[in-house]
Amino acid sequence: MATSVLDPRNLVDIQARPKRSATQILSWVLFLASIALYAHFSSVRHRENSEDRIVPSAKQLVQGIQSSVFHPAEEDDDLDPGATRWQQIRHSMIWKDTVASGSRFFIAMALLVPAILLGLHMGIFPYFGAFFLRYVLFFDKIVALSLLPILFIVFGIDEWSKIMLMVIGVAPTLILDTCQITRAVPREQIVKAFTLKCSNLDVAYRVVFPQILPNVINSVRLSLKPLALFLFAGEMIASTDGLAYRIAIMRRHMGMDIIIPYLLWVALLLFGLDTLLRFLNRRLHPWL
Amino acid sequence: MALAAALMQEELPIARKRRCEIGLKGVSKTYRSEKGETRTVLSAVNLEIEAGEFVVVLGETGCGKSTLLRLILGEEPPSFGSIQVSGKPVKQIDARCGYVPQKYSLFPNRTALQNVMFGPRTAKYPLMPWLHPGFHAYRKELKTEATQQLLRMGLRAADANKYPHKMSGGMQQRVAIAQALIMKPSVMLMDEAFSALDPSTRISLQELVLDIWREQRPTMVFVTHNVAEALFLGTRLIVLGAYSEMMGGKTNVIADMHLQRSDLPYLERRHTKEFIELQSYVEELSYGISCQP
Repeated sequence: MATSVLDPRNLVDIQARPKRSATQILSWVLFLASIALYAHFSSVRHRENSEDRIVPSAKQLVQGIQSSVFHPAEEDDDLDPGATRWQQIRHSMIWKDTVASGSRFFIAMALLVPAILLGLHMGIFPYFGAFFLRYVLFFDKIVALSLLPILFIVFGIDEWSKIMLMVIGVAPTLILDTCQITRAVPREQIVKAFTLKCSNLDVAYRVVFPQILPNVINSVRLSLKPLALFLFAGEMIASTDGLAYRIAIMRRHMGMDIIIPYLLWVALLLFGLDTLLRFLNRRLHPWL
Repeated sequence: MALAAALMQEELPIARKRRCEIGLKGVSKTYRSEKGETRTVLSAVNLEIEAGEFVVVLGETGCGKSTLLRLILGEEPPSFGSIQVSGKPVKQIDARCGYVPQKYSLFPNRTALQNVMFGPRTAKYPLMPWLHPGFHAYRKELKTEATQQLLRMGLRAADANKYPHKMSGGMQQRVAIAQALIMKPSVMLMDEAFSALDPSTRISLQELVLDIWREQRPTMVFVTHNVAEALFLGTRLIVLGAYSEMMGGKTNVIADMHLQRSDLPYLERRHTKEFIELQSYVEELSYGISCQP
């Protein structure tokens, strides 16, 4: 039987069965509380100083969003006054930064595909495992950010150092994770496959890989945040565009009216990508 | 005596003419733990299994039944001795043996039909089959064959498109048998294939396996710890005992006996005096339990 959300005893009742509506309401409470808290602090600060930029008001935030979405960055030229809304968006600061950061992000994700395949091989081919495992385990413990100076020397301060920081930061964990997922495939499946005339590559790519793919996609989903973290670190240190670059620039000008929308935009992008991967996982693997 | 009659060799003159399908010579298997301790599971096993025999391996937990199967399959090498299947030494797992384990026998990402089609398709078109000109015609032909195989196993046509997680344990094992049989292996190895099933499903699958064996006569090696199942299915019974240092390197095969076949259904046969007597004898032999008052 469904239990009431208003009864405080239910908060610590393992056997409680909240109603669907109660679950929905509860899931939004913290969002609403955060907004209310922010609005309260903002109004308190604005009562003291109407020009306060530390906790911008709703009006300032809307202005900040408008200037990010419809106006070009400071370093870019202005558009003709007769430009359409779409042209304004395409020429805007947030569009430019999103494209710059997005392309770095997706190139790094593409470069992680070989890491997944290496993890698969390490998990299934014993000699591969013996050759790589200890090295990758050791490499995984190196703090990727400490490699940044070396990356700048090797790849220069352009795109590749930032992309390689993301790849080097996430690849070892992804390799080890894929290796573990591969090793969790029941031995019976592999034995059975060999009795069905499969070759070694057939077993790896037609039996094991399709089975581990959903878990590997989940692993990639969990790596989205570390990827973004390394991207932001790289962009904040050496970049001329990108979402993190803009946040770093705005910090100097105390531009919280831009920083806050940017932070929410980044979170929204990552949330959207995570949702897309979850959706793809469900659609591509109806057997789960 | 009824017991002696039950242990009679079936079709002895024909059996003599059959070739040896599986041969084990002085096979031992010892495992070494990380601490360096050794544990012998199988010791000095000599077996000759003739083509078309239905051999059931029986014994208590840890006596080496499944290890014996893994050695025949080529999943593990023996510590000593040699194993031959179809006249060739066993070095690795290959398609000479069909295999039906207790669980995880189906690929979870494929439907029942795809599971059955997987083996022949992979054997004929190993990589990127859609690039081969004859692939689509072959796939159509194979689909018909696989569907027939599933129907033969007692599944409905509608079950063909079900994924394993939507099937009951019994259905999964039927598909697993079809998946193995479509490869037409000369040897079928079944490792406690029906252990996890409810009694009625188990009986119907036992009867199905017997029907298949009567029709196609593959050499069967069936591992179980269920005495009644062993006596109902087998034409030959091998009882293994747990190895101990007291044996001093002697074999842990306690008994190797031929059984008389009967065409009676399971439920009728299990109530016959011979069956009860034999069951009691084998239980005492393998587990040291006497069912007689």
